[in-house]
Amino acid sequence: MDVNMTYATQEMWTWWLAIYLYFGGLGAATLAVTFLTDMYLKPNRYLVIWGAGAGVVLLALGSLMLFGHLLDKTAVLTILNPMALFNQSSAWIAWGTQFIIWMMVWGVLYALPYVRETKFPHKVPVIRDLIDKPFVIGTAKLVQSFHRGVGWLAVINGVGVAVYTGLLLQSFPAVALWHNPAVPLLFTVSAFSTAMAFLLVLMYTLLHDQADEHVRVLYERIDLVLIAAELVILFSLYQYLKNGSESGVRSMELLWNDYGWLIGFIGFGLIVPFLLELKGVMRGWASRVPILTASVLVLAGGYLLRHYFMYAGVYAYPW
Amino acid sequence: MTHYAMVIDLNTCVGCNACMAACAMENQTPVWNEGKWRTYVHDKEIGLGSDVQRRFFPRLCNHCDNPPCMTVCPTGATQKKDNGIVFVDQELCMGCGACAMACPYHARVPVTRRDMREGREFYGSDYRRTSPSMDKCSFCDHLVEQGRKPACVETCVGSARMFGDLDDPDDPVAQMVASGAARALMPHIGTRPNVYYIDDIRWRS
Repeated sequence: MDVNMTYATQEMWTWWLAIYLYFGGLGAATLAVTFLTDMYLKPNRYLVIWGAGAGVVLLALGSLMLFGHLLDKTAVLTILNPMALFNQSSAWIAWGTQFIIWMMVWGVLYALPYVRETKFPHKVPVIRDLIDKPFVIGTAKLVQSFHRGVGWLAVINGVGVAVYTGLLLQSFPAVALWHNPAVPLLFTVSAFSTAMAFLLVLMYTLLHDQADEHVRVLYERIDLVLIAAELVILFSLYQYLKNGSESGVRSMELLWNDYGWLIGFIGFGLIVPFLLELKGVMRGWASRVPILTASVLVLAGGYLLRHYFMYAGVYAYPW
Repeated sequence: MTHYAMVIDLNTCVGCNACMAACAMENQTPVWNEGKWRTYVHDKEIGLGSDVQRRFFPRLCNHCDNPPCMTVCPTGATQKKDNGIVFVDQELCMGCGACAMACPYHARVPVTRRDMREGREFYGSDYRRTSPSMDKCSFCDHLVEQGRKPACVETCVGSARMFGDLDDPDDPVAQMVASGAARALMPHIGTRPNVYYIDDIRWRS
């Protein structure tokens, strides 16, 4: 068929979906990392409360972005039903919605015993009334008996959310930039990298405890590896796009000719934090400012990645 | 088993846009927004200098056998009938737009509550839509069930649009597809579309 192709980007899912993907990945990975740290590295009540809180709040905000753009908001009830997975198991949004819901449920339950042990929630009127109810006290005791099991259920769903954000984009076959195996990998690695950065910011500011030094060092090292992995995946993606379909070539041109992507995301969102963290891991820093700077840059880069990805997807229409 | 398909002959499409109008009136689509028609005829100039020809290219949902819009639909609102027609259950659709993102043929469009308000004014008391949804061509399945053809086919003055059953070897549509004269768009994507085109470019001198 001789056709005159038209190449076009889309206006259906834009910045707000980038926020949904960003908050989803960041919140879920933060929850998973803090729970794993608490279970296997060093019990840390405050880290768990922050992790669960960040997970629930970020996921709620991200989901609101998607919910706010639905054409018929009442029809969302269909996918809140867990049976949606059986009815529509091929749709990643159905999976993602269930991962998000159950991550929140198990995340709140895992944090509940810690919340009850902490003084601050008892000073907040609404929360105080809630956590002192007999039903909640009983639930907290029950969760305590199966704490690790509940933690793993939250972690599994959290990892599911992080991976889902990439699988969602990968399920659109018309766009070469999205429909390739690098995307779920890239988004998952980026989600955990931003989670490490978020936790480093937290642990160098609000939760600054000298006893957690080894946890901070571990997070820095993991983040360094994750940023390196992200750079390798991006390099592979570039190689894939530059000699593939025209859709891919045009996406590559849109991204790599844009200073926001090239300097903003790859430069300041990946390479600069990588160098700052590398110096920190190899020789250390006298101050916490460089690692804080690196972490803030990684957090900003995480959003830029998703933002540019949404805008750079190119459709090839045969007319 | 019936397997509906459409063949569009680009040699005989004169760009009158009657198919667009017929579709819009039959299915009460938001005609006030160019981007929300279920079928659209693109008008393109091909050539250089004085050697320029116009090409009219009708497009619509390709009713794929492997429809990506259906696999990504989280509510199951996008469904496929045994006869090959892909349709939307408006009541089930929450309008997330994943189908539009997945469709390689730009065949899914949002019909919003605002469109419905305008629709009630434009189409009057006959307006049938009860909820917003991601809209698409249904091959006029309500007409097909009555033994008729889609509105765009019935109205096509140049007989450029033909509708038939691929599983009926005597059907001219099935024969055009089987002969290779009518070909699908972008088959490499793996959607297995059921709208076929007879090329005009290669017949031109």
